[in-house]
Amino acid sequence: MLYALSSVIIFFIFWELIALYSPSPYLPDPYSVLRAFITILTVGDVDGYTLTWHAVVSLERVLLGFAVGTATGIPIGMLLGIKPTLKGAVTPIIEPLRFIPPIAWIPLSIVLLIGLWRYIFLIWIGVFFPVLLDTIAGVKRTSITLIQMARTFGADNKKIITKIVFPSSLPEIMNGLRVGLGVGWMCIVAAEMIGGEPVGLGRLILKYANLLQIDVVIVGMITIGLIGLALNYLILLLEKRMFRWRVEIRA
Amino acid sequence: MKKAILLESVSKKYEVGSSSLEVIKDLTFDVNENEFVCIVGPSGCGKTTLLRIVSGLEPPSSGRVLVFDTPPDPRRQKFGVIFQEDSLLPWRTVLGNVKFGLELQGYKETEHEKIARTYIELVGLQGFENYYPHQISGGMKKRVAIARALAINPDLILMDEPFADLDAQTRSLMQRELLNVWSKLNKTVLFITHNVEEAVFLAQRVFVLTKRPSKVKQIINIDLPYPRARLSPPFISYRERILTAFHEELEGI
Ligand SMILES: Nc1ncnc2c1ncn2[C@@H]1O[C@H](COP(=O)(O)OP(=O)(O)OP(=O)(O)O)[C@@H](O)[C@H]1O
Ligand SMILES: [Mg+2]
Repeated sequence: MLYALSSVIIFFIFWELIALYSPSPYLPDPYSVLRAFITILTVGDVDGYTLTWHAVVSLERVLLGFAVGTATGIPIGMLLGIKPTLKGAVTPIIEPLRFIPPIAWIPLSIVLLIGLWRYIFLIWIGVFFPVLLDTIAGVKRTSITLIQMARTFGADNKKIITKIVFPSSLPEIMNGLRVGLGVGWMCIVAAEMIGGEPVGLGRLILKYANLLQIDVVIVGMITIGLIGLALNYLILLLEKRMFRWRVEIRA
Repeated sequence: MKKAILLESVSKKYEVGSSSLEVIKDLTFDVNENEFVCIVGPSGCGKTTLLRIVSGLEPPSSGRVLVFDTPPDPRRQKFGVIFQEDSLLPWRTVLGNVKFGLELQGYKETEHEKIARTYIELVGLQGFENYYPHQISGGMKKRVAIARALAINPDLILMDEPFADLDAQTRSLMQRELLNVWSKLNKTVLFITHNVEEAVFLAQRVFVLTKRPSKVKQIINIDLPYPRARLSPPFISYRERILTAFHEELEGI
């Protein structure tokens, strides 16, 4: 705790020093960022939207994209994990796709989609692949003995999937959800680069970047970082509750 | 008498890479209904493979397998299979694991709890209902697997070295419990073991298998009343007979 606190303090000292000696007139020091933070939080930005509102709107977009990413990634991952031939068939499509960053998809999403769907699509790009890959990995790790055991009790394929394969892959799936939500959240700036709406944390950053007011840009960055941290922590808590059956590893 | 298990010239080959391994060759035997049969044989001779064939998990490469006059099918017949390796669901408690078979066999949900608790008590695990597998010992896990298999009231019990991890005392306790269950509930039991004394203590007939590719080397009828005294002269002479046959097979390995 003490170490954590000191490293935060040292970080701010460095920042202050860099701001002080930097030749650039646009680099704000921590204090002006704090001032900007309070202004945006209480008064709002140039269009009158407060920081909380920006965050809520962004969260809504990301959670929608996350929901679609989960609803597609888990079932497709289960299917591909169970059917290796199908996985072999689609690998040449999936593998290169997952290296294309969300930003690169922006023009296509403008051509193909409208409104909220554009946000959902761009976030989905970030969420889908981690969820998909971890689900496949989880399915692959299912113990053959457990499957055979279920068969001797008369389980059909459906029962084996719901009672053995899914619960046994759940730790990996949850890991995929955590990583996916993190990546999806990181896609928010890319997702909000387009569209006319003036709200959203990504929008806030872009708006003030154009105005060359870097203090507000940093406020947006820090808010994104902190919310990402909180989301990650929430899923970790959930995982801890769900997987009490796992051997606890004590450091 | 009706046959519980009937094997006619069963062979099993595994293809590994380009070579093929003949594990079982021309194996023929039968097990009567309500009979207790032990199978002993050297390690790697194909005992587990045999059990997988009898339980319908794998088809034989050739030959005929009948369980109660039909090819084995766990979806239509009730088998209680106890695997050699750990087969508990790590995400379920002891109680949840014992309920597992009942759920798959379509027992009424209101009955699961009561039946499961009865069998948990039978294997002496009352008080551990809410423990997860990683919180209990290897021997206790085996007992959970036994409770889970018995809970569905199987027609045929197939056990693959179930007591190998148990300490001597628990082992002899479980052996007596198994004999109890068997005589009370009229089950057919096919029991695999390395332990010759265990086979003589439990079985009406002992099948000694040859080394791979395995077939039946010798069938020994144990004409001793239950419960059997391990130190009685006839017990010891049965044990010696089986050990001799068993050791002849071990030599060649
Ligand atoms: N799925 C498989 N593919 C290839 N070979 C196999 C497979 N299963 C078993 N074998 C081979 O068949 C032989 C018999 O294996 P099995 O497990 O039936 O022996 P076992 O008699 O049960 O041995 P143990 O007493 O050590 O448990 C072994 O040589 C093993 O390598
Ligand atoms: Mg074996």
